[in-house]
Amino acid sequence: MSYHEATYDEPSIFTFRSGTTYKVPGSVTDSDIDLPQELIRKHLDLPEVSEYDVVRHYTRLSQMNYSVDLGIYPLGSCTMKFNPKYADKIAGMEQFYDVHPLQLASTVQGQLRIMYELQEFLKELSDMDAVTLQPLAGAQGEYTGMLIVRKYFEVKGELNSRTEVIVPDSAHGTNPASAAMAGFNVVEIPSAEDGTVDLEALKAAISEHTAAFMITNPNTLGIFEDHIGEIARLVHEAGALLYYDGANFNGILGITSPGLMGFDIVHFNLHKTFATPHGSGGPGAGPVGVKANLAEFLPVPIIGKDGDKYFLDYSPKHTVGKVSSYMGSFMVLLRAWAYIRFHGSDGLRRNTINAVMNTNYLKKKLENKFKIPYKSLKKHELVLSTENTGKKALDIAKYLIDNGVHAPTIYFPLIVHEAMMIEPTETVSRMDLDRFAEIFLESADVPEEELKKHPVNLPIGRPDDVKAARDLKVRWFPEK
Amino acid sequence: MQSNLEKQEIAKFLNISDEMALFSDIPAQYRKKEIRIQEGVSEYEVLEQARRIASLNSSAGMVNFLGNGIYKRIVPASVDSIIGRSEFLTAYTPYQAEMSQGVLQSLFEYQTFMSELTGMDASNSSMYDGFTTLGEAVRMAHRINERRDILIPENMFDDKLKVINSYLSGLSVRLLTYRVDQVTGFIDLNDIQSKVSKDTSAIVVEMPNSYGIIDENVLKVSQIKGDALLIAYVDPVSLGMLLPPGDYGADIVAAEGQQLGIHMNYGGPGLGILTFRKDYIRKSPGRIIGETVDNKGKKAYVMTLQTREQHIRREKATSNICTNQALMAIASAVYLGVVGPTGLKKIAQTTYVNSRKLKNKLSSLKAAGVPQLTGKPFSDVLIKFRTDVSQLQEFLAEKGINGGVPLQKLAAAPILIRNSAFFTATETTQENETDQLVSIMEVFR
Repeated sequence: MSYHEATYDEPSIFTFRSGTTYKVPGSVTDSDIDLPQELIRKHLDLPEVSEYDVVRHYTRLSQMNYSVDLGIYPLGSCTMKFNPKYADKIAGMEQFYDVHPLQLASTVQGQLRIMYELQEFLKELSDMDAVTLQPLAGAQGEYTGMLIVRKYFEVKGELNSRTEVIVPDSAHGTNPASAAMAGFNVVEIPSAEDGTVDLEALKAAISEHTAAFMITNPNTLGIFEDHIGEIARLVHEAGALLYYDGANFNGILGITSPGLMGFDIVHFNLHKTFATPHGSGGPGAGPVGVKANLAEFLPVPIIGKDGDKYFLDYSPKHTVGKVSSYMGSFMVLLRAWAYIRFHGSDGLRRNTINAVMNTNYLKKKLENKFKIPYKSLKKHELVLSTENTGKKALDIAKYLIDNGVHAPTIYFPLIVHEAMMIEPTETVSRMDLDRFAEIFLESADVPEEELKKHPVNLPIGRPDDVKAARDLKVRWFPEK
Repeated sequence: MQSNLEKQEIAKFLNISDEMALFSDIPAQYRKKEIRIQEGVSEYEVLEQARRIASLNSSAGMVNFLGNGIYKRIVPASVDSIIGRSEFLTAYTPYQAEMSQGVLQSLFEYQTFMSELTGMDASNSSMYDGFTTLGEAVRMAHRINERRDILIPENMFDDKLKVINSYLSGLSVRLLTYRVDQVTGFIDLNDIQSKVSKDTSAIVVEMPNSYGIIDENVLKVSQIKGDALLIAYVDPVSLGMLLPPGDYGADIVAAEGQQLGIHMNYGGPGLGILTFRKDYIRKSPGRIIGETVDNKGKKAYVMTLQTREQHIRREKATSNICTNQALMAIASAVYLGVVGPTGLKKIAQTTYVNSRKLKNKLSSLKAAGVPQLTGKPFSDVLIKFRTDVSQLQEFLAEKGINGGVPLQKLAAAPILIRNSAFFTATETTQENETDQLVSIMEVFR
C-alpha cells in the first residue's frame, strides 16, 4: 500500500487577514463603558479572520494528523481503542451539555443519574466499595489516591512516619511524579528476572515508613503479576496501602479485578479502558475507587441516591476536600457510561479477551525477528527490544509511521533497551494486525542508513528537537 | 469460544483451543465469578436510554443567571464542527511529531492566542481546569522562589481554596488571607502591604474578583509586592476589554477557559489556561509546543522541554500532569479565530453592559434596599438583600430560573454582605429574561 499524509504549507492563523465575519448580537460602543481608562485594554493583537478561513485553516491542520479513526494506534499503556460514534451522539445532546454546575440537584437529575450509575458500574468492575468521579485525568486520579493515603495516615496519627511510596522501576512516570507531588519520598525497586515485582526487593524496601506501594497489574511489560496475593499481604502487614494504576485495566477487565487482588485504591482511565476519545491529548477522566475503610476520605461531592432521587453527597467524614473545580469531566463520564451500557457485562469481558488475543497474536508474529524479553504470556500489551536487530527503536518507529500506521510507545519501560511497547487493543482486525506486523518485520531488514531517511511520506521529516529546546520559540511572532 | 472467524484463526495460530488459556497466569482465587451489570444493548437502545435520562434534567426550559466561573456564552457552530472532526477528536498526544503536525501547529497557535490575550510571554498547551491551574500556579511560584507564604484574597471561593489546598499537600507552604473591602468590593492594598514579607512567595489576585467586581486595586499590587511573585486569576473573556495581567505586572496567569468556545458541560471538560513570564518556563508544568525545523530545514512543531515532565523526570518532574485538555485548547483557538479581537471586545463590552443593567434593576428591588457594593461588576452581579437568601436559588428554580446563588454557599460571607446572592449576565442575557427575573424577585421577601 502506498501512503501519503495530507501536506499543506499551512501559514499561521496569525497571518490571515480576511476580516472577521462573526456577528455578536447587541450594539454596545466604547462610550457605554464607564470604567477608568487605566483599566481599559489599549490593543489586542489577534488576527481578524473570516469564519470560512478559520474553518478551512483548522480543517487543513486536522488532516495533517493521524487518529484512531484512521487505523491502528498501538501506543502501549494508552489503550487507543475505537471511540464509538453513539457516544459522540449522546455527548452532543444539548440537554446534557447545556447544564451549569451550580444548578440545584433537583434540576439536574439526569446528570446525577448518569454519574451515579457510572459510580456503580466502576465499583462492580473493580470490586471496590466507593468511587469518586471528580479527578480529571489518570495522573490526577493517582494524585487523588495519594491525597487519600496522606489523609488516612494523618487520621491514624502516622503521617509523620509514613513518608515513603514504593514504585517498581517499570512504573508509568506519573506514579513517582504523583507520589512526589503529594509530598512522599519515592523508593524505586527493581523488577525480577521474569519482569514481575521482585519480592525480595519489595521486602527489603518495605518498612514502617512505607505509606503505599503503587503498581499496575498487568504491568507495563504486559505481564500479569501473579504474586499479587503475596504482594498485597506484605504491603498490608506493614500497615501500608496498595495502589492500583488503572492504565492497564484493559488487560483484565471482567476477568479479575483490583478489589479481588487486594488493592485498596484504584484509578480508572476512562479515555483508555472505556473508549472515550483522547482529543489529541485530552480531556480524559480519572475516577478513583476505594475499599470501604477509605470511603470517608473521598473528595466531595460524590453522587448519592435516596429512593428515586439523586443528590450531591458531602458526607465523607475525613474528605480530602476537592481535587478539581466541579464534579468531574461530565461529558467524558457520559461517554464512558454509554460505552459500558452498550457493551454490558458480556461485551466488556469479550473485549478484554479479544484485546489479549490480539496482543499475543502480534507477539507471536513479531518474535520471529525481535527479542521479546521476560515472560511469554502477555495481556494488553507487549514490549519488544529492537537491540538484537541492530536497529534503533526510534528508526523503526519512523519507518512505521511512514507506512501509515502509528508507532508504539518507544523507550518505555525504561528497563528494556530500545523498547517498543505495543498495545493493539481489541478494536483492530486480524487483517490490520497482519499488515502492521508485516511492516514491522520488514523494518528489521531495512539497512540502518535507509531507515534513518524515514519518514518521507509525512508533512515533515525528522524534527530538530535540540533546536526546539534551545531556541524556545513557543509562540508565533510576526516576520521581521 | 468466539463466533468471529478471524478470532478463531488467531486462536488456531496461537495453538489454543480455549481462549481462557490466555489468562492461565491469573490464579483461580482472583477470577471474577460474575459481573453484575446488565448485558449489552444495541446502539438504538443506548441512545433511547440516554435520551430518557437527559429528559430528567429540567434545565432545558430554564432561564440561566448562573456563572461564577462557568458561563453560558455563545459557542460558534464552527467550534463544535472543528473539534468534532475525528482527526482531532480521536488522536492521542502528538508523540510522533511528523504525523501530528496539525495538532502541534494548532496548539502552538493556542499558546500564541493565550500569550497575547493575557499579555504574557509564554503559555503551555493546556491544563485541566481553572482551579487546578491556579493550584499548579501556586506550586510553580513556590518552585521558583522556595518561599513559604502565599497571599490570597479572603473572598476566594471555598471550592477554589480546597483545590489549592489539595495542590499544596506535602509542601511547606502557608496560605495567608488578605482583606477585601466590604463597601467597594476592592482588595485592601494596605492589608496586603502589611502581610508582604521576605517569606512571601506569591500574591494571588483575581480579576474580576470573587465578588464579580472589576477591581481597580489589582492594578496597584505590583507596586507593593516587593520581589514576591504576582499570580493573576482572570476571566479570559473580560480581557477583550480589560487591561491584560501582563500589563499590571503578573508573573503567572491562571484562568478557566470554558468561556472561550466550550459549552457549560456541567463543569467539565473545561480548560485550564496557564501563561507566564519566559524566565519561568523551565519551572512550569505541562506540555509546551515549540517551533523548530525538520532535517531539510522546513518549519516543524514538536513537544519541547519534555525534560520537565513526568515521563522523563519521574519524581523530579515539575508536575505529574500527562493527559491535558488539548481538544478544548483547540476549541478556544477556533473560538478566538472566529470572533477575533473586535468580536471578543464586543462580547466583553456587552457582558459588562448587561451586568450593569442587571445590577441596576435588581438593586432597585425593595428586598435589595440596602447599599450595594460600589465596585462595578463584569459579569457576576452580587446583590445584597435585606433578608435571608439561603433559599433564594430554590425559590427561583421553582419559577423556571437558575440563579441567585447565595454568597455563603460559595465563600465566607462577611457581616456586611451576609445576605447576598449572585446573578450573572453574559452576551446571551436577554432584556425580557432580566425583566422576568425582576418581576419574580418582586415577590421575594
